[in-house]
Amino acid sequence: MIEALLRRIGAALVTLVLATGVVFLLIRAVPGDIIGEMLGQSAGDPASEAALRAFFGLDRPLTAQYLAWAGDVLQGDLGTSMRQGLPVLGIVVDAFLVTLEIGVATLLLAILVGVPLGMVAGARPGGVADMVVEGFTLVGLSAPVFWTGMVLLILADGWLGWSPPLVYTPPDISLSDNLEGIALPVLALGLLQAAAYAQFTRQQSAALMRQDFVRAARARGLPARVVYGRHLLRNIAIPLVTYAGLILVQILGGVVVVETLFGIPGLGRTLLAAIQGRDYPVLQGALLLTVVVALLVNLVIDLTYALIDPRVRGA
Amino acid sequence: MPLSLPRLMIDRRTALLAGAGLLGGGPVPPARAQGAGAGALYGPDDPQARRGGTLTVAIANEPPNLDPFHQAGDARTAVTLLMYQGLMYEDASGVAKPLLAESMAVSDDGLTYTFALRRGVRFHTGRTMTSADVKYSYDYVRNPANGSPGALDFGTIAEIAAPDENTVVVRLSEPNASLPMTLTNRFGGVVPADTFANPQARARLSQQSVGTGPFMLQEFRPQSHIRMARFPNYWVQGQPYLDGVLFSVQPNAASVLVALRSRRVDLALLARPQDAEQLQGQAGLTITATSSLRQCSLDLDGNHAQLKDPRVRQAIALAVDKNAVMQASIGGKGKVLGTIPAAMQESWGAPLDALPNQRTDPARAKALLAEAGLPDGFGIDLISIIGFEWMDPAGVTLAQQLAPLGIRLNIQRVELGVWLNAYRSRNMRFTFNDWGTQPDPHILYYRHFHSPPRGADFRNWNNAEGDRLLDAGMATADPARRKAAYVDFQKVLDASAPTVMLFSPDLVTVAQQRVRNYVQHPTGWWFGLAKAWIAA
Repeated sequence: MIEALLRRIGAALVTLVLATGVVFLLIRAVPGDIIGEMLGQSAGDPASEAALRAFFGLDRPLTAQYLAWAGDVLQGDLGTSMRQGLPVLGIVVDAFLVTLEIGVATLLLAILVGVPLGMVAGARPGGVADMVVEGFTLVGLSAPVFWTGMVLLILADGWLGWSPPLVYTPPDISLSDNLEGIALPVLALGLLQAAAYAQFTRQQSAALMRQDFVRAARARGLPARVVYGRHLLRNIAIPLVTYAGLILVQILGGVVVVETLFGIPGLGRTLLAAIQGRDYPVLQGALLLTVVVALLVNLVIDLTYALIDPRVRGA
Repeated sequence: MPLSLPRLMIDRRTALLAGAGLLGGGPVPPARAQGAGAGALYGPDDPQARRGGTLTVAIANEPPNLDPFHQAGDARTAVTLLMYQGLMYEDASGVAKPLLAESMAVSDDGLTYTFALRRGVRFHTGRTMTSADVKYSYDYVRNPANGSPGALDFGTIAEIAAPDENTVVVRLSEPNASLPMTLTNRFGGVVPADTFANPQARARLSQQSVGTGPFMLQEFRPQSHIRMARFPNYWVQGQPYLDGVLFSVQPNAASVLVALRSRRVDLALLARPQDAEQLQGQAGLTITATSSLRQCSLDLDGNHAQLKDPRVRQAIALAVDKNAVMQASIGGKGKVLGTIPAAMQESWGAPLDALPNQRTDPARAKALLAEAGLPDGFGIDLISIIGFEWMDPAGVTLAQQLAPLGIRLNIQRVELGVWLNAYRSRNMRFTFNDWGTQPDPHILYYRHFHSPPRGADFRNWNNAEGDRLLDAGMATADPARRKAAYVDFQKVLDASAPTVMLFSPDLVTVAQQRVRNYVQHPTGWWFGLAKAWIAA
């Protein structure tokens, strides 16, 4: 088990090093740089441009730039944002925590709504419940998050005369303000993910319902609570956990849409601003963090398998 | 490089002119006398104004940082001018008026500008501003080694002297009538001497303001908000009226409309002026439209394909129906242009009937194309920038308008950073553009159209007559002769069409009823907040 874990961590580290190199080269291959954003249409003075390039170290060879960055990262320093002049670590961690909060809240909502719906639908494929859930799934999966967000925003404004606060408040400052701020983004994202979850759970449970052990349990007259809770849920738990990991990574990647719509300072918008402004250190830092998180999530999922399923422990 | 300080010389004529208030607004009584002389700045004083309250303003574009010297973007200037002030103020009328200066005098030869500083002006750091701070700030900007985009604008300054604490003398290498406008609030902010001696200074400016403006920075949270608080030691006693301003970054236009309706936002400038229609009749909201200094235009690179031939450029100019493009792009909420942005047409614009290529004339366009050897037209890429919503409908409309000439447009959408890269390297090709200015013709035209190294001539226009007129406009102090030079320049611009200025979108400001005395400046910047107040 420990050996397998170490092997996985080793592979993750290699992936990490490769990913940073690719990211470093890719973002520099895109035309334009921070100087373009700083000067805008006030460009035109070669001496000022040269001074700025030197200030940001962009006049050095690429290898020197990469090695300097990698050396700093190994010492825990992700560099300084070219746009804001602030440490990258602070910028990306602050932004990541905001996105993580939305991601986790969305995942919880998706599980709490999607899994029971999927199980109910899967219990009697073709039944009324199944059709209702299928309708919900269809709407949830086909409505773009941007559209759902807009509709929620307009409905909240029109029906309740309420709109989300303009400034995101972290939960440690005021939990109620925080929840008010993330309610609509989480709902908008949660609808889609709950639909995805319901569909996935339905397929899993419908397949299991046909299995002998479930049929035997039902034939023995066991109460539904036991059939679903003990036999069904436990058997679909592993795929559901795998799916949770996938969905979490997907939410973290796709959250930029709701962050833009609702003005939330998360990782998605930070990345977008860094791409638009060619803020290389922030981009590299944010992507490094994203890769680390994706690798960690996968690692945690592997470990969770072991907790749920004794057979995996020996592997 | 240390500068020697030659003896201050102001000739009699200059002194008389300054005394009569004929130069740049003339001398002003001491500032502490209840803001006398500051009355016209930023908007009217309001005797009924109440102190207190925080105004929430929605902004679509966030400044990357709040450094007044290194960031050229409009989004930066729009907010930092509440924290940093220049010697002069870009009045909406197109005249630079003294701001941190109390008065300005110009020597007969137009080479020496002498500024008497306002007394008792304090920085947010607590220190009192002196001429040494002004000299430091402007020497910093004009030194290209410091990488300020303002360096080119400050290029005619040969030396800055501070003969005493309250006097600054700027000597030019050649006459430059736009100097007062250059020392306004875009790159002309004054910071305490040695601000940039600290290597961390650039980062700190996004956490702490060090200017003299009515508001000081409280918090800047990128992708979220900028919070400013009233500067208690502001040099105009009793102002600003507001306790604070909260700029909330709302990149989505629809979210801003919802926030205005539900009163989360007090004030906003609509990113899409046509959205005003969705708010018409909404109780409690005041909607005003102001002419702007922004121009949405079509640029024609003189080094690119068929556009090398001036007749082809003229033909395109003659085929465009600007009003139809504006209707399609922004629902008609703007002003169709000749050769200057809407808010400058009256003060500096050439009369439209003196510009033959500003009228739609398909027959002449067709004849010109035939003369250029292209009777059947040609195919060309038109570049549109992603994120600039007006460009998509404008592109489609333009394609329809050029089709009868046989010009087949292939619209290419590029990302802003990629576009800026091409622009900087003078490879604009055939593209839409969207830019703004301060209300001065030199600042508007010189960098864009004068050939290098004095200008940047981004469109590879390479027009000697244009250069000559731009130089004449710069060197001429007399307002009437100066205007004549720029009118002639616009005729040249019209005749050979390196650009087709399409329209200036109106600045549509939406405010809750409780917002009082807010005046929208044609730059689209937030000057008006210095005098706005909140009714109970």
